[in-house]
Amino acid sequence: MTDVRNQAPAGSLPARIIGLLIAVVLTIASVGLGLYENLPAQQVILYSAATLALSAWIWRFYVIQFASGVEGAGELRNAWRKYRSGILGFLVLCGVFFLLSVTIDGFFNVWTVISALILLLIIILTMSVGRFMAENRSAFIGLMVLAGLFSVGSMNIDGFSSATNIKSMLLFASFLGLASIGQTLVALLGGLDLSIPYVIGAANVGLLYLTGLGVPPWIAFLLIMLAGGLLGVVNGFLSLRLQGQALIVTLGAGFVISGGTQIVTSIGSEYSGNVFGTVPDWLTNLSSMAGSTFGLPFPPVIAIWAVAALILIVGLRHTVYGRFLYALGVNRTSAERLFISERGYWVSIFGLSGMFSAFTGCLLLGWSGGGFIGVGSQYLFMTLAAVVVGGTSLLGGVGGYGFTVIGVLVLQVLTSFLVGIGLKFEWQQFIFGMLILPMVALYARSPHIRTQI
Amino acid sequence: MSATTAPRATAPNLQGARSSPHLLMPMTLLFALLIIAVLRSPNLVTNAGLGSAVIVAGPLILATYALMSTVVAGRGTVDLAIGPLISFINVTLIQLVAAGALGSPIVTFVYAVAVGMAYQLLMALIVIYIRVQPIIVSLSGYLALSGINLVILPRPGGVAPDWMASWGAGTSVFSPVMVVLILASVAWLLMTRTAFFTHLRLMGSDERAAYTSGIPITVVRIGAHLICGFFAGLSAICFTALIGSGDPGQGTTYTLISVTALVLGGASLGGGRASIAGSLIGAVDLYLITYVLSTFSFGGIQSFVTDLCYGAILVASLLLTLTLPVIQRTLGNFSSLLYFVVLAIVALGVVLHSTFPYATLGAPAATAATGLLEAEALRQTASAAPHDARIWAFVGILLLTLPLLARTLIVGAPRRGVGPVVYIVVVGLALLAVYLATHGYAVVSLGSAGR
Repeated sequence: MTDVRNQAPAGSLPARIIGLLIAVVLTIASVGLGLYENLPAQQVILYSAATLALSAWIWRFYVIQFASGVEGAGELRNAWRKYRSGILGFLVLCGVFFLLSVTIDGFFNVWTVISALILLLIIILTMSVGRFMAENRSAFIGLMVLAGLFSVGSMNIDGFSSATNIKSMLLFASFLGLASIGQTLVALLGGLDLSIPYVIGAANVGLLYLTGLGVPPWIAFLLIMLAGGLLGVVNGFLSLRLQGQALIVTLGAGFVISGGTQIVTSIGSEYSGNVFGTVPDWLTNLSSMAGSTFGLPFPPVIAIWAVAALILIVGLRHTVYGRFLYALGVNRTSAERLFISERGYWVSIFGLSGMFSAFTGCLLLGWSGGGFIGVGSQYLFMTLAAVVVGGTSLLGGVGGYGFTVIGVLVLQVLTSFLVGIGLKFEWQQFIFGMLILPMVALYARSPHIRTQI
Repeated sequence: MSATTAPRATAPNLQGARSSPHLLMPMTLLFALLIIAVLRSPNLVTNAGLGSAVIVAGPLILATYALMSTVVAGRGTVDLAIGPLISFINVTLIQLVAAGALGSPIVTFVYAVAVGMAYQLLMALIVIYIRVQPIIVSLSGYLALSGINLVILPRPGGVAPDWMASWGAGTSVFSPVMVVLILASVAWLLMTRTAFFTHLRLMGSDERAAYTSGIPITVVRIGAHLICGFFAGLSAICFTALIGSGDPGQGTTYTLISVTALVLGGASLGGGRASIAGSLIGAVDLYLITYVLSTFSFGGIQSFVTDLCYGAILVASLLLTLTLPVIQRTLGNFSSLLYFVVLAIVALGVVLHSTFPYATLGAPAATAATGLLEAEALRQTASAAPHDARIWAFVGILLLTLPLLARTLIVGAPRRGVGPVVYIVVVGLALLAVYLATHGYAVVSLGSAGR
């Protein structure tokens, strides 16, 4: 290294004095402890002397040498510098594993050790290989985590990798995925849509209400989608005008739509807020576990999600509309100079978001079989989490729906895994929270301010 | 724009009068709601009514203050975890009290504030050193804390410490929660006078500029988060006093409401701009919306109508901010302080009207905002009806008319430096008001001869 200073191995004077002081303090402490414990005087003297010698020696050989960077310890020090974070991280992980093994009965067995090794391997792989990926780093890390979670899950939980479980995971993933379409697109634009859960709930109740009134189900379905899209358009207009407060605008619109739907549905009904009715068979088939797609044994909603994801991924990459969306998200002013209509994009993207939220609400009706206004409440933060974990920036212009698909799958497999090992909802949420941060920290760290000047 | 160019000659003098236009909207909403609330239910302006209003709105106002300090720090630091954090302090407090570990008020305060500050310190360190977007840090904190809250206290329950029982009673305006609120507001106001706050605002509006001009941005950011934690702790204490037990599920509500209050009060979520008056008014607005809606009865669909109106008022009031530039252009030098005073006088007139015992008087009294006439009417009829509200309204009108006059005089005067007189007058009147409030009954009975 270039900054090796030519100093005596003994170190500078202040360092020596500090070392000596620490040694003396430790010695006094050990004398005090010995007297307090009523040990024989010889032992106290012996141990105190040993403490003094040992601490002084440790200080002399390690701390001073590291601090001054002398020739003898240069290599060691360089190695330490280079792999400092890795070594510390490894030690922390080992500590956590040890703590878990001690505190939880039956935690320590062959499978958990193998799982831990797999996780370690994933971390090492992502740290080493991911370093070379500039563009799709988040996708790579997401896939690695997905693979790791899946392998650990199938080792530790019976029936985790069975066809039924995979089917149910995909089913729930497709609900979340369809709900996150809007959030992803809006995030690419640089906004946030907090009305999604309320639109989902309103669509869920509204569809059942309309079919209960005798409207043919498919017309009702289309009407609900249209209404969702309309609300999205309004959201888009308002958010465009009120840039700083877009968060609150969409939230307020959400309150309005969910309150309004409930008022409408409870007029002339003695069960306020509860809607009863029969869900059409084709809707049940569309999104229940027992559904089938053209004779194949999986619910069509998975296929719908796959097609939608494909269209979105290809469309965002290869159409003019998609490319302009990114342009608008990255820099609004320059996009305006290119004659990209800001208003058109905000309105259409928010409209799409509202439409897909309404669509998800309708599909959830087919899954649950009964209308419930709060059915979407968990999607408020889950859609955000899926977007963020996938790697789409909330500031706009970076990311894509492909990333969100990975994010959705990671969240879903993780939920399934946590349910599988018998954790309750609150612990699941806690672990979710604890995992989002390190996952995002692996790929979405912003540069230090001094490099931005 | 002749209106904007004309006062340029005397610009330095008039700068003080041109305060934040962002306050106009929340102020209008505040007084509109206040008038409706008082007309619907005059009980709000009695001593007990105001007392319970303070108790209910207290945690919300403090939570908004807490959020404000990080929002000013920029980078979009909207701490979504503020609600779960308050809930966390609340449930741990309840559990510790149940275990007998916490007892005295001082220890409880220290505990709440310390937990809040410790959590926020951790957040600040993560934001600074791991350099993840703050919104992601707060999202992660939101999920983790709401999970752990349910682990600590699976369902609402438990009992608050004994000394808190009197806090949550809400029988008088002069409750401990009011003291906490006033102290917190004063503390914040004092903080805005420091260099630290200037640095904070600079960092919020342009972090690179702050860094290059040598501001220790790390220290400033940590400071902002610590202040946030401090107010979150206070809010949690008031929240515990309000519900008198533990509730792990209030997280989402408080987060959404306090963010809303902040934005309604004119703060910019982008950073660099927020005012304590705005946050206070925004939070009170939200309280009043719920209060007004609760005075109407919709039977089974009450909560739905509340949702609908809540959302509609939010969107509408935000839309009205779009008219701000127009107002500014037409009115030029528009003082929001004067606006506040005028609206307050109108509102207090309505308060007097709604609480006035017309039955005993026999003839309708003037409800216009002319202080002296009201005073005469008040003295003649202060007999049997509840004294509380009328004293308050009367003192309030007096309080507000004088600074209005003083202000008009000062703005008209060419000399600068008379401004402090206004504040002295206001402070003096506030002291008078406190005196009158404590000795209120005596004053009124003096007026009504023969009691």
